[in-house]
Amino acid sequence: MSNLLVNDRDQRFILFEQLGMEKLFTTETFNDFSKDDALMILSEAEKMALNVILPTFTDGDREGCTFKDGNVYVPKSYHEAYKKYIEGGWMIANESPEVGGQGIPLVLYEACMETMSAANVSFQMLPGLTHGAGKLIEEYGSEEQKKKYMEKMYDGTWGGTMCLTEPGAGSDVGALKATAKRLPDGTFSITGTKIFISFGDQDVTGNIIHPVLARIEGDPPGTGGISIFIVPKYKINDDGTLGELNDVHTGNIEHKMGIHGASTCTLNFGDDNKCIGELLGNERDGMKIMFLMMNEARLSVGLQGLSLSSTAFEHAVSYAKDRIQSALVWEKKGPDAKPVSIIQHPDVRRDLLWMKSHLEGIRAMNYFTAYAMDMAKANPGEREKWQGFVELLTPVCKAYSSDKGMDICSKAIDVYGGYGYCQEYPVEQYLRDCKIATVYEGTNGIQSLDLVGRKLAMNKGMNIMNMFGEIGATIARAKNIEELKIDAGRLEEAYNALVDLTMALAQFGKSSSFIIPILNASSYLDIFGDVLVGHFLLQAAVIASEKLKAIYQENGAEESKAKKRALVRSNEDVAFYSGKIASSRFFAVEVLCTVKPRCEAIKSEEMVAFEMADESFTC
Amino acid sequence: MNIVACVKQVPDTEAQIRVKADGSGIEEGGIKWVMNPYDEYGVEEALRLKEKNGGEVTVISVGPARVMETIRTALAMGADKGIHVQDAAFDGADAYTTAAALAAALKDLNPDIIFCGQRAIDDDQGQVGAVLADLLDIPHVSLITKLEFADGAIKVIRPIEGAQLLIEAKLPCLVTAQKGLNEPRYASLPGIMKAKKKPVDVKDAAALGVTPAVNMKVVKFVPPPARAAGKIVCGDDPAAKAKELARLLREEAKVI
Ligand SMILES: Cc1cc2nc3c(=O)[nH]c(=O)nc-3n(C[C@H](O)[C@H](O)[C@H](O)COP(=O)(O)OP(=O)(O)OC[C@H]3O[C@@H](n4cnc5c(N)ncnc54)[C@H](O)[C@@H]3O)c2cc1C
Repeated sequence: MSNLLVNDRDQRFILFEQLGMEKLFTTETFNDFSKDDALMILSEAEKMALNVILPTFTDGDREGCTFKDGNVYVPKSYHEAYKKYIEGGWMIANESPEVGGQGIPLVLYEACMETMSAANVSFQMLPGLTHGAGKLIEEYGSEEQKKKYMEKMYDGTWGGTMCLTEPGAGSDVGALKATAKRLPDGTFSITGTKIFISFGDQDVTGNIIHPVLARIEGDPPGTGGISIFIVPKYKINDDGTLGELNDVHTGNIEHKMGIHGASTCTLNFGDDNKCIGELLGNERDGMKIMFLMMNEARLSVGLQGLSLSSTAFEHAVSYAKDRIQSALVWEKKGPDAKPVSIIQHPDVRRDLLWMKSHLEGIRAMNYFTAYAMDMAKANPGEREKWQGFVELLTPVCKAYSSDKGMDICSKAIDVYGGYGYCQEYPVEQYLRDCKIATVYEGTNGIQSLDLVGRKLAMNKGMNIMNMFGEIGATIARAKNIEELKIDAGRLEEAYNALVDLTMALAQFGKSSSFIIPILNASSYLDIFGDVLVGHFLLQAAVIASEKLKAIYQENGAEESKAKKRALVRSNEDVAFYSGKIASSRFFAVEVLCTVKPRCEAIKSEEMVAFEMADESFTC
Repeated sequence: MNIVACVKQVPDTEAQIRVKADGSGIEEGGIKWVMNPYDEYGVEEALRLKEKNGGEVTVISVGPARVMETIRTALAMGADKGIHVQDAAFDGADAYTTAAALAAALKDLNPDIIFCGQRAIDDDQGQVGAVLADLLDIPHVSLITKLEFADGAIKVIRPIEGAQLLIEAKLPCLVTAQKGLNEPRYASLPGIMKAKKKPVDVKDAAALGVTPAVNMKVVKFVPPPARAAGKIVCGDDPAAKAKELARLLREEAKVI
C-alpha cells in the first residue's frame, strides 16, 4: 500500500469478497449502483482524503483552535478543505437523492469515511456532526423545519452539533438542568449551559444549528422528561436570511490531549433570556430522538478508532521496513552479523501482526454493521434480523474499536521507538487523537453496560442468538478446510466459552449475584469483541484459502512448497490471501486461546473489586 | 463550442512497476490505473472553457476495456460524452497509430479545440498531440500553462527557458497541457452518478476505417538496473575523510 492511510486491497476484500456487497445492487434500494461505481467512489474518496484532508492533519494539530472575543477559530486550512469536501458531495452521500444525497450504500460510505478519517479525524467531525444533526431534522422535523434548517445544513452552508453534556450530566444525561420555557407563539425560551460541545462554535459555516436536550418546565425528572429543541446560533428571518445572535454564547474552549482541530466548547444558552428554540418532534421524546444521532455517532466513533488504527499500522509497517537497527539476535555473535531492517526482528513482527489482525477484524466488524443497516433497509422481509445485528453490535463497534485503536496506536509508537514519541512522525498524534474515542459518545464503560444490560436481552435474545448462529456457521465452514482446522477449533473453544458465559450472566442477572454482570460488563464486551473479531478473521481465512487454492492450481504449485514461496513474492494476491490466513491464525493463538480462562474467571463470581472498601484504595 | 479532451489511462505514479519475465511488457495485475496527470489538466481546462463559453466537452481515449474507467472519471468531472476506441489491434500501438485512431474518431465531430496532455507519464513520448494536429490539419501549440479565449481565437502562454511565449492561434486548433495550467477538480459524487447516464460511443478499428500500422515496435522491456549500495566514508580524521571523499568523487564517481 502506498497511501499509508488504509489498505485499499483489504477494504475491497471485505466489501466484495467477504460481505459480498454486490448483493445489495440487486435490490430495489440500491439497483442504481454497480461494482464499478463503488470502485470509482472509493478511488475518489482516496483522492479527497490524500489531497484535500491530509494536508490539514499536522497544522490542524499544531495550530489548533483559538478562542478570541467570544468567537472560535478553527485551523485555517480547514476552510478550503471543507469547501472542497462539500463540493464533492461527501457529507450526505448516503442520504437519499430527495434530500440532495446520492443514496450510496452505507457500507460503501463507511469505507470512504474510514479513508477520510484516517487522513484527519478532527476535520472529519465537522461534516459528521452537521450530517448527524441534519438527519435528526430530516427524520423528526416538520416540513417547515426541514426547509428552514435541514436544507442549508445538508448543502454545507450551516454547521450542526449535538448538545447533551452538562457539568452535572455526563454519563447520566437524565440529570440535565437545561430548561425550556413555553412562549405564547409555540416556541421555547432555552436556558442552560452545555459543555464539551464539539464544533459548538467555529468560523467555517455562517450559522450553526444546535439540537439541544432540555426539560420543559414542569416535566418529570430523568430521561423520560427530556425534550429536544432546534436552537440556531443566529436567528433565521422569514426569508431565510440570518438575523441577530440567538443569545447563544461560547464561554470558552477546552485545551486538550488530541483532536486539537475540533473545537470543544462551553455553550451558554439564554444568558439574557433571549434564546429561542423550536421543539423537534414530540415533547418528552428528546432522548428517543437524540438516540438516532447517538447511535450513528457511536458507529462513527468506532470508525475513528478503526481509521486511526489503520493509518497507524500502515505507517508502522512502512517504517519497520526502512529502519535498520541491530543484527538478528541469533546472528549477533558472528563476525559478519549485519544490522537488519527491524521488520526482521521477531518481537517487531509480532507487534505488527498483532496490529494487522486486530485492525482487519475491527474493519470487518464495522463494515459488517454498516452492511447490516443496508440489508435492513433493502430487505424489508429480513429487517428484524439485520437491524438486530446493528443494535447488538453498535456498543461493541464503539468500545472495542476505540480500545483496540488505542492499543494499535500505542504499538505503532513502540515500532518507531523514540522517533514515534516525537512530533517529527505522525504516530504520536494518532495516539492523542484516538484517546477521545474511548470517552465521548458514552464512555466505553457505559457502552459495555448498554451491551450487557440492554442489548443481550433485546428482541428476546434473538439478536445475540442470530450472531451466535453466524459464528457457528463460520466455524463449521472452516472445519471443512484442512489447513484451517486448528484455527477453527480455537474459535470454537472461545465461542463455546462465550455462549456459556452469556447464559451464566443471564442467570446472575436474575439472582442475587446481579452485580456480577455489571461488574464484569467491560470484560464481557472485550471477550465478545475478541470472539467477533476471531469470527470475521476466520471467515476471511476461509475465503482466502479457497482463492489461494485456485491460484496454486493455476500455477501448478499445489504440491510444491518452493513454488508457493516464490508465488508469495511475485503475486500480490497470493501475498494478500496468505496474510489473511496469517491474521486469523495469529489472532486465534494469541487472543482466542485466552478467552476460555477469562470466561471462567468471570463465572467464578469473584467480587473483590466491588467489595473492597473505598478506604483501601486510598490508604 | 465543440471541445475535445484526449485522455490516456496510465499506471498510477505510485504503482510498483514489474517487468514481465519474458520482457514483453509490464505485469498489469495489481496495478492501479489513473488518468494521465497532464490529461487531467486538459480535461479541467476543457471544462472551464465550456463553463465560460458554452458548448460541449467530448472525452476520447484509445485503449482496452479498462480505459472506460478513465473516460467515466472525465465524465464525472463534468465532460458531456465519451468516445472509447477499443480494438485489440491498437494494444501497444505507437504514437502515430494512436493519433490516427483519434483523428479518425474525431474527424466528423469537427472540434473547435482539442486538449491533449503534453505527454503521457508511462512512455514519455509526447508525440500524440502533435501528430493528431497534423493529421487533422490544424495548428497546434504545445506545453501551455495559461489559456484565454476570445473572438474565435485563443491566447496561450508557453514557458520557455527563462521566458514565456504569448502565442495566439485561430480555432480550430490543438493544445497540449503542461503542469501549472490549472488545478484539476475532483470528480464529485453527484458527478459520478450523473456520469452513468452520459453516452459513450465504443468504436473499433473497422468502424473507424483505420488499419493499424506497425511503424514502431517495442522489442523488449527491461527494468532499470538496481541502484548500487551507497558508500560511507569512515574514519576519525575529518581532513583525511574529506580527502578520501574527493578522491572517490574524482576517480570512482568521476563527477569532479
Ligand atoms: C473532546 C470532547 C468532545 C465532546 N463532544 C461532545 C459533544 O459534541 N456533545 C456532547 O453532548 N458531549 C460531548 N462530550 C462529552 C462526553 O460525551 C462526556 O464527557 C462523556 O459522555 C462522559 O461524561 P463525563 O465527562 O461527565 O464523565 P462522567 O459521567 O463523570 O464519567 C466519569 C467516569 O465514570 C464512569 N461512569 C459514570 N457513570 C457510570 C455508570 N452508571 N456506570 C459505570 N460507570 C459510570 C464513566 O464510565 C467514566 O469512566 C465531549 C467530550 C470531550 C472530552
